[in-house]
Parts: sequence; C-alpha cells; structure tokens
Amino acid sequence: MIPFEMVEPRSLEEAVALLDPTETTIRAVAGGTALMLMMKAGVFQPTRLVCLHRIEPEHARITLTEAGELRIGAMASLSEVEKDSNVAARLPVLKNALRRLSNPRVRNVARVGGALAHGDPHMDLPPVLAALGARVTINGPNTSRELPLLELFAGYYETVLEKNELITAVTVPQLHDRKSAYIKVTSRSADDWPAVGVAVTFSLHDGVLRDPIVVVSAATEKVTRLAGAEQVLQGAAIDDAVLRRAGDAAAAEASVLADAHGSAAYKRELLRVYLRRAVRQALDESTPQVRQ
Amino acid sequence: MSARTINFTLNGQAVSTAIEPHRNLVELLQRFDLLGARESCGQGLCGCCTVLVDGVAVSGCLYFAVWVDGKSVSTVEHLDADGALSNVQQAFIDCGAFQCGFCTPGFVLMTHQLLKDCPDPSDEDIRDYLAGNLCRCAAYPEIIEAVKRAAKAAT
Repeated sequence: MIPFEMVEPRSLEEAVALLDPTETTIRAVAGGTALMLMMKAGVFQPTRLVCLHRIEPEHARITLTEAGELRIGAMASLSEVEKDSNVAARLPVLKNALRRLSNPRVRNVARVGGALAHGDPHMDLPPVLAALGARVTINGPNTSRELPLLELFAGYYETVLEKNELITAVTVPQLHDRKSAYIKVTSRSADDWPAVGVAVTFSLHDGVLRDPIVVVSAATEKVTRLAGAEQVLQGAAIDDAVLRRAGDAAAAEASVLADAHGSAAYKRELLRVYLRRAVRQALDESTPQVRQ
Repeated sequence: MSARTINFTLNGQAVSTAIEPHRNLVELLQRFDLLGARESCGQGLCGCCTVLVDGVAVSGCLYFAVWVDGKSVSTVEHLDADGALSNVQQAFIDCGAFQCGFCTPGFVLMTHQLLKDCPDPSDEDIRDYLAGNLCRCAAYPEIIEAVKRAAKAAT
C-alpha cells in the first residue's frame, strides 16, 4: 500500500472535524476490512485515514429502545451483532445472515457503520436491514439527521453521505409478527461475494400476505426495493402461481448488471427463482435458515 | 509518511517499535521474527494470517499494524509458551491434520478461538469457525477430526 497519514481521534466530534467536505482522498475507516482491499488493489489511495476505533465506546453499543426498536451503534462489530441476545430473540433473519457473512475474523473486525457507508451492493447487511425497515442516523459538523436506510444508497459504491458525515447508528424497528428471510446466491464458492441477494419481510393474515418489502442486492448497482414484485404479493394468498408472477415481476423490473459472478441474464433468472424461494422460506420459519 | 512508535504486549512480553501507518499486522510480526502468521491470499479469505488481538481472532493481512498500540497480540508461537504443546496442537499432530503445514498455524488458532467460544462444538460450529481457512492439501477430514479430538481432550 502507498503511504498515507493516519489519525485516530478519541471522539466523534473530533473525527468529523478531521474529515474534509471536498477532499475525496480523506476517508473515515471503521473496521477497514473492505477499505484495505481497495487500497491493496490500488483503486483507493488515501492521503489521510480517519480511524474511528478509538472514539467513545457508546458508539459501539447495541441497545433496545423503549419503543422496542434495536439501536445498533455504528462501531458495533458484526460479531457483536451476531452474538447479541436481542438480535437472536427478535431478529433471527439478521443473525442468520451474519453467520453466513464472510468468516469470523472479518466479522470480528468489520463494523456495521462501515458495511453501510461503503455502499457496496454485494454486502449482506444492507438488503437485510433495508427489508427490516431500518433507519440510519448520520452526524456531520453540528448536524444530525435520520434517513430510511434505502435512501442512503445512491449508486454503485455511492451513498448520499457528505464527505464529512458519519453514520453513527442504525435503528431496526420491531419485527412483530412479520415474516422474514434473506437468501444470497454465491455462484462460485460458498464464501464468495453473491451474484444476487434477496431479502423479504411481510405480514400474513388468514393466509393473505400484507405489506411486503422485497429488496434485491448484488445483482443491481445498488440495494433496490422491487415495487412490482411487492404489488403482486400484496393481498395475495400465496400459491405457486402468485410466486411465479412475483418472480417474473422482479426479473422484469430489476436493472441487472453482469459481473464475474454471472451474466445479467443468469442473474435475472436467479432473481426470478430466489424471490420465490425467499418468500417460501419466510413462510416456513421452522426451516433452519443458517445454511441453504 | 513517518513511522509511529507503538507499545503493545506481544506473546506476553511488553514491546515497543516504530512502524509506518500503511503496514499491516503480518508485516509488524515479521519484524519480531514471528513467521507463523503468513500473508497468503491478502484478502482475509484463507486464514493463514490469523492472529489474536486482545483474544479475538483477526486476519493480520487486513489489520493495520498501528491499531495494536496498547493492545495484546498473541501468535501461534505463543501456544507452547509453558513448554508443552497446546491440546489443539497435539490433536493436529495425533490426527495428521496437515500435509505441507503452511495453513496449520491459522487452523490451530481458529480452533483455539472456536473451543474458547464453544467448548463442545457442533459440526455446524466447526464449519462456521473454519469456513474462512483454506487448506490446499485438502486435509479437511483430518482437521475436523483433530478439532473434535481437541474438544474431547479439553473436557
């Protein structure tokens, strides 16, 4: 790697002040597992890295709010989320996704805020948290704002974050009796980046599906909600014909990109099939979801 | 950019050294002639560079060296510090759980981490903890046998 300046602020305020609103070669680093890959490949050459690992420990806390929402500090490691008892009890879909994410060493080091701010459409947390209706808290110099997570993503590795803003927390609403599932398809090896990811959540009343959220990742330039597929599922009694129509709608509306994991046509077919399987998996919650 | 002096505990000893911010943890260990952690894939996938930082397994190739300032670092070389091989090391020998041995330090350290978190691991736990370790000689059946043997020896 090419040499650069590294600073390790002790507070969030100091960290934000060390960022620069216009300079693209100055960046914040949470766990660094993704950014270091970019630096090793030479696609990112920083002049200054603002390392966040020594800021106030409260930013790594995972707490249950009075409203029953789970508030995950941006500096919580993926392992800490995976092993959190509230996550296990309330959001099994999130725990299951984490157990299949990379490997335990990466999960020990990678941070939730980094996984979101990186804007990489192949990662697992963005689609799962988006389907759960999560919101991100964003802090800048003397500013704080909250956004639905889906609105964070602007394009391929792009977010709406200003260069001197940091994600400080992600808040996940209660799942209540909503069903949920996330499936990723890795076309080469099990631990590879996925060719497509599908996350779904919905309610079920008397066999009728309500208020679905369907999110696709990895196959598209950014994590994307699929309104057409949701429209097919909304108010439907689930059978094979409905699921086929929902898969067809997803495949028709998603703007699918080809890469080393598969051609656009192949990924579109994967999306068509795995959307059906994700809904089925969410319906059949007795099926263990850790490994597909 | 200029080197920075860092102080940390390395295999039980307080040490101090100057290192540049763009160096990773494997490069830091090489300066202390600790060669058990090897940078192999360089992407956190293969597990050959496994190191424990404050008791937590990390990929040394994806961890900035200066981040260990004030922390405690343990490598495979420390496992027999009391003069005897660890349970895990002995189990790997007993089961012949390697051929060339290049990946073995990483597998041994990840097995220590597994048995610390799950003293009686299920097959699923073993797969989860070792999924990020690659053995190109494909000694996987013997490695899994060694993990189970080490778990049994510890109880």
